[in-house]
Amino acid sequence: MSKLKSREEYEKTGSFRFWRWLDGRRDPYVGQVEMKPQTPVETPELTIRERLRDSQAVRDKVYDIENNKSLNFFHRVYVLAAIVYCVGLAVILLAMVAYLPPTGEADRPVNNEVSARYIESGLQETGAVNIVTGMILDYRAFDTFGESNVLFAATTTVLILLHRKKKNQDGRVEELENDRLLEPKRDAILQGSATVLVPIIILFGIYVILNGHLSPGGGFSGGAVIGAGLILYLSAFGFERAEKLFTEKLYKTVSFAALTTYCLAKSYSFFTGANHLESHIPLGTPGAILSSGLIFVLNICVGMVVACTMYTFYVMFRKGDF
Amino acid sequence: MSVGEWVRLLLGGALLLGGLLVFLIEIYGVFRFRYVLNRMHAAALGDTLGITCSMAGLMLLSGFRFSTLKMAMVIVFLWIASPVSSHLLARLEAGTNEQLGEHCEVYEKLETLEEQLRDGEERKEEAL
Repeated sequence: MSKLKSREEYEKTGSFRFWRWLDGRRDPYVGQVEMKPQTPVETPELTIRERLRDSQAVRDKVYDIENNKSLNFFHRVYVLAAIVYCVGLAVILLAMVAYLPPTGEADRPVNNEVSARYIESGLQETGAVNIVTGMILDYRAFDTFGESNVLFAATTTVLILLHRKKKNQDGRVEELENDRLLEPKRDAILQGSATVLVPIIILFGIYVILNGHLSPGGGFSGGAVIGAGLILYLSAFGFERAEKLFTEKLYKTVSFAALTTYCLAKSYSFFTGANHLESHIPLGTPGAILSSGLIFVLNICVGMVVACTMYTFYVMFRKGDF
Repeated sequence: MSVGEWVRLLLGGALLLGGLLVFLIEIYGVFRFRYVLNRMHAAALGDTLGITCSMAGLMLLSGFRFSTLKMAMVIVFLWIASPVSSHLLARLEAGTNEQLGEHCEVYEKLETLEEQLRDGEERKEEAL
C-alpha cells in the first residue's frame, strides 16, 4: 500500500527540490551567492547633445559639404556604389552556391577525394609531419593568409578607435580619470615571478612556432603564447620598460614584414604550382626541424602577426597608447 | 602484470582520484562561500594541491618518458603562476573594497599588527 503524503510534507523532501531544480522553476544560486545585477547604462542628455554637435561640426568644418560640391557628389556616389557592390557580391555568392553538390550526398568530393588525398599524399607533397599544418599552410594557405589579414585589419580598427595622441592631453588629469590607478603597481611578488616566467613563456612560444610542422601547434598558438608573455612582462614592469622593446614602429615593421613575406612566398608557390613549374624550394627530410619548405617560414610569419596583435590589443584597451 | 606494475597502477589511480576529490571540494567551496577572499581561498586549493595530485597520478600511470617531464613542468609553472595571480586578485580586492572591515580584520598599518603580536608574546612570557 503506497503512502500518500500531503502537499506540505512533499515540499520538504529532497526529491521535490531536485525536480524543482531540474524544471528550472527555481535557481538555487539566486539570493545565495554574492552577485550584483547590472544596471542599464544611462547616457546623460549632455553627452548626447555633445555627440550631435560633434558630428555636425565634422560635417560643417571638416568636409564643408555646403561649399564643396564634388565632395557632396562623392558621398552620394559612394553610398550608391556600396549598395551595388554588396548586392552584386550576394548575387554572385548565391549563384555559386547553386553549383555546389547537395549536402549529404555520399559520393561528393569532400567525402572521398579531398580527405583521402590529404591523408595519403600529404606528407609527401608538403613535407610536414603534422598533416593539419600541411593542410592549413600549404593546401589552404590562401585561407590562412586571409585569417592573418583579418587579425591585421582588427588591430588597425582598434588603433583607429582607441589610439590617443600624446600631444593634446594633460598627463595629470588623465592619471586621475584612469580607473586603473587602483591596480597593484610594481608588485614585488609579481615582478619576481615574472622574471622567472617571462623568458620561459616566450621560449615555449618560439618552440611551438618552430615545431609547427612536426608536432601540434603552429603560428597561431605559438604567437598567442608569445603575446601572453609580453603582456605579463608589461603588467609586471610597467609601460616604461616594455616600451623600450615594443613600440608602435616595431609593431608596424613586424606586421608589414610578416604579411608581405607571407604574401610573396605563397604567391610564388601558387604561381609555380598553377603553371606546373619547378618551385626550387627543397622539402627536406620529413621530421627534421628545417624541412617542409615554405611552411616553416609561413608559421613564423603568422606567429609574429598573432603575437603583435595580442599585445597591441592589450595595450590599446588598457592605455590607448604604446 | 607484475607486482610493480600493479602497485604503480593503484598508486597512480589513487592519486588521480584524490586530485579529482580535491577539485570537487574546490568547486563546492567556490559556490558555498559568499565573499570573494573566502572563495579565492577555496579556488586556490584546486590550483595547487588538486593539480599536483592529478598530475602526479598521471605521471605515475604514464611511466618515465618525455611527456612525464612536460607534466612536471606544468606543475612547476602552475605553482609559480597560480599563487601570484591569487595574490594580485586579493590585493586588488583589499585595495578597492571600502567595506573590507565588514568581512575581515583590517589593520591600518602593518606596524600596529607587529606591535600587537609583540605584546601578545610578552604577555605569554609574563604568564609563564
